[in-house]
Amino acid sequence: MRFQAAALDGRAIVYAGIQADPLIRRIADLLADATPAELVLARAVMNGQRTDAEVWRAMFPALFDPAAVELVDVPERREHAQKLLAASIEVADRGEQTRSQFRGAIVEELTARLLARRVPPEAIRRERRVLFDGVPAEIHPYDVTVELGARAEVYDCKWGARGIGADVLHQLDDARRHAAEEEQKLFVALVVFDSRRSAEVRLARLTAPRSETRVFTLESLGRLAGTRK
Amino acid sequence: MDSEFAAGAVSESVALVVDRALDAYRRLGDLGEQITDEWQYVNDLVAVHSADLRALVVADPERLLPAAAVWAVDLAIEEIGLIEDPHRAIDWLSTFPQIVGIAATPPTAAG
Repeated sequence: MRFQAAALDGRAIVYAGIQADPLIRRIADLLADATPAELVLARAVMNGQRTDAEVWRAMFPALFDPAAVELVDVPERREHAQKLLAASIEVADRGEQTRSQFRGAIVEELTARLLARRVPPEAIRRERRVLFDGVPAEIHPYDVTVELGARAEVYDCKWGARGIGADVLHQLDDARRHAAEEEQKLFVALVVFDSRRSAEVRLARLTAPRSETRVFTLESLGRLAGTRK
Repeated sequence: MDSEFAAGAVSESVALVVDRALDAYRRLGDLGEQITDEWQYVNDLVAVHSADLRALVVADPERLLPAAAVWAVDLAIEEIGLIEDPHRAIDWLSTFPQIVGIAATPPTAAG
């Protein structure tokens, strides 16, 4: 089993420019420390029709006016939510096509940030293929990989549960199986910036193999970093 | 809520608020169904998330939600009412129930 950088075609060059946008890094940093409710806020705003911060603050009183819904006010958390809201509105303000590209890049950057809390940052790579002897290379590179000598991990990142399809499940499971045939361990996973329930609904109708594929959702993103949630 | 937005909001029972949310959610599902390839997924989402929303009511339908929580749900209903694109509707079939859940879950359960 060996890893290889994906070919840098026109699409990849454009996408690399998006990945390098400072807004992606800023919002990924904020998301990496977000509570589950803050993650829902960010997803809603970046998918939303309106970009008026006041509307979103009112829609999430638990984050912005906790006393009004009988919760304890923690000023540091409120300030974090404010920053995340502002960054999410910046993404939404970029227009429909750009925000769509940004959302995918954000999930990938967030995944890399969280993994960097568990493994050496230099082991984390982007847009990589996994090659096996005698096996044709996959069409799509993996969004994020962890490449350590003793073990490896590959992650496919999705903005929504709707993005989960049989093709990606097959690709992940094939890679894991080929690695096992070479007596190597490859951890394969989907990172879905969506609710666990929606991911379960999506997966329930798919017959592609997935028993060895881990799925991280909004409720469990923290586990990428090795934490319990 | 300390802004102009919540000025007219009042406390209401969780049953009334969730009923309104479910009506709006069904309309959102109708819009999402326009993507025929996703008809099954849309209907599965609506069934599962609607059941989860109804579960918020079962224990105590008369439980009063604070005015800010009622207003939060009404703003979320307003937001999905603005959606015209069926693809975006499908995205919101997942997000809307989460927002309602955050607003309508009792503080102790919400942690």
